[in-house]
Amino acid sequence: MSELSPHIPDLDLITFYSEKGTSLFSRISPWTKAFMLVFIILFVSIDKSLILAVCLYLIVLALYYLSGLPIKKLFQWYAMPFIFVLSLVLILMWNEPGTPIFSLNVPYFSLTLTDNGLLLLLTLVFKSLASVTYSLFFLMTTKYNYLSAMIYRVFPSPIDQIFLMSYRFIFMTLKMVESMIKALRSRGGGLLKSARRQSKMFSEVFALTMIRSYDRADRVNKAMEARGFNGKYVAATRIPGISFGEYFTMLVATTMAIYLIWFVKLPF
Amino acid sequence: MKTLQQIHNEQVCNSCTHEGKELIHVDCASHIYPDGSLGIHEMCFRVLEKEIVALCGPNGSGKSTLLEHLNGLLRPSSGNVTVMGKKLDLSHIDIWRDVGIVFQKSDDQLFAPTVLDDVMFGPINMGLSIEQARTEAMGALKTVGAEKLSDKMPNYLSGGQKRLVCIAGVLVMKPRAIAMDEPTSDLDPLHAEMVENIILNLKNEHGLSIVIATHDMDMAARISDRVCIVKDGSIIAEGKPSSIFYDKELLETSGLRQPKVVQIYEGITKNLGIGLEKHPMNGDELVKTILSDFKVWCIPKHL
Repeated sequence: MSELSPHIPDLDLITFYSEKGTSLFSRISPWTKAFMLVFIILFVSIDKSLILAVCLYLIVLALYYLSGLPIKKLFQWYAMPFIFVLSLVLILMWNEPGTPIFSLNVPYFSLTLTDNGLLLLLTLVFKSLASVTYSLFFLMTTKYNYLSAMIYRVFPSPIDQIFLMSYRFIFMTLKMVESMIKALRSRGGGLLKSARRQSKMFSEVFALTMIRSYDRADRVNKAMEARGFNGKYVAATRIPGISFGEYFTMLVATTMAIYLIWFVKLPF
Repeated sequence: MKTLQQIHNEQVCNSCTHEGKELIHVDCASHIYPDGSLGIHEMCFRVLEKEIVALCGPNGSGKSTLLEHLNGLLRPSSGNVTVMGKKLDLSHIDIWRDVGIVFQKSDDQLFAPTVLDDVMFGPINMGLSIEQARTEAMGALKTVGAEKLSDKMPNYLSGGQKRLVCIAGVLVMKPRAIAMDEPTSDLDPLHAEMVENIILNLKNEHGLSIVIATHDMDMAARISDRVCIVKDGSIIAEGKPSSIFYDKELLETSGLRQPKVVQIYEGITKNLGIGLEKHPMNGDELVKTILSDFKVWCIPKHL
C-alpha cells in the first residue's frame, strides 16, 4: 500500500492498529464510536462557527494522539481531504459579503476575497479535517469484524453484503497493484520520465488489475459456493455493548453541542 | 490397439469388485469449457471409503477440473458423476455437504474478516445456529491445530496457517470426502509435513476419503493408497504407488518424474547390479530395505 503514495491511507497500517487494540479507546463499544461519528457528521453539517470547528478538531486530534496512533502519518493523509476541500472552496470563497481583503480585477468581472470568504475556507478545512481524523480514529481503534457485524445489523441487503465481501477483496486487489508497481519500478519505471508514457503504463496496470480482480472474484465465488453459499453471508461476531458511562458521555456531548450551536453566540 | 485410457476406463467402469464401499464414481465424464478447451475427456474415476487417492499429472492435465466435478462446481458435458449413490444433476444441489474442496490458492477461499468467521461459514450455510456453528468451528480448528488463530485476520496469516484454516473450513462441514488441489504446493517443508500429517489423520482417525491433485510425487508416494496418472484430461493408469512409481516409462510418458526415494533406490540397485525386489515408498522403508537386503562391507567402527 505504501508503494502507491504516502498520502493515501495505508489499509495495512489501519488494520494493524485496529487489530492491535491496546489503547483504552479500543475497549470502548464500537456502537458508541459509531454514534459519535454520526454525531460529528451532523455537528459539522449544522455548525457554522469557526471556533467550534477548531475546538472539535482539537478534541478529535487529542483522541487520536492519546490512542497511540501515528500523528505524522495522519498529517500526510490530510493531503487528499485538504485538496478536496480546496477544490470546492476555491470556487465558493470569492465575492462573499464582508470586509474586502484582496481583490482581483479582470475584464468583465472581479473577484474579491473578504473576511467571511476566508472564514468559510478555514471553517470548511477544520470541519473536514475533524471528520477525517475521527473516521481514521474510529477505523484504527475498532476491529474489522466488529465493523462488519455492525454493518450487517444496520444496513439492508445487499449493501451489507457488499461491505462484508469487499474489505478483504480490497486488500487483495491493492496487494496486486502494489506488486505490479514494484515490478515496474524495479525495471526503471518512474513518474519523472515522460509523463505520457508513465500514464499509459499505469493505466495498463490498473486495467490488468480490473481483469484479474474479476477472475479472482469468480474464484472466490466458486469457493463460497463450494461451501453452500446461498447469497446471504451472516456476520456472526458478538459486538460489545454500550456501558452506562458511555451512554452518559454521549448524552453530555450531545447536550453540550446543542447548547453551543443554538444558544451561544460566538464571534466567528 | 487400445490406448492406455481405454484400458483404464474398462477396468474402472466394468469392474464389479471393489475393496471398499464406493463413495464417488465418475463414469466416462467429459467437460468442455466455454472457450472450447477440453477439461476432462471420457474420464473414469472412483473414490472408495477411507482411502487417499493421488491424482498425479502435469499442469493442465485436468486434475483441478476433475476435483471441481466432485464437489458439483462443474457439471460434465457428457457422462455422469455419482456421489454417495446420487447422480450429480440439477436436483442434487447439496453435494457440497458430502464432498468438500480445498482450493490451490488459499486466498481464493478465505474471505471472512476473521478465521473463526470463515470456518463458521459452512455450518451456517448448512442451517446450524450461530452458537452451534461457533462450537463446531472451534472443534475443526482444534483438529488441524489452528485454534489459536481463531480471532486472527486471514490477511496476516502465513501460507501454512492459511492452508490449515482452509482445511478446517471444509472439515467443519463433516463431509465424507475431501478434495484437495495441490495442498502442499506453496508451503515450506515444515508446514508441508504438517498438512501431510493432517491428511493422514483425517483418513485414519476421522474415516474420510481424501482426493489429492498434485505433482509432488514424493508426497503422493508417502501417503497415498492409490495413484491415478492424469494426462490430457484422462486417467491413463491407476494402481498402488509401489507399482505406478516404479514404472519409469509410464511416468516419463506422462511428463512426470519418479519420487526421489524411488530414484535413489533404483540408482543404488543399478550401481550394485542388483534387481529391484522391493519397492520402498518413503525414507524409512528405503533405509530398512538397504540395511536388510544389501551386504555392507567395511563399515567404519563409529557407525
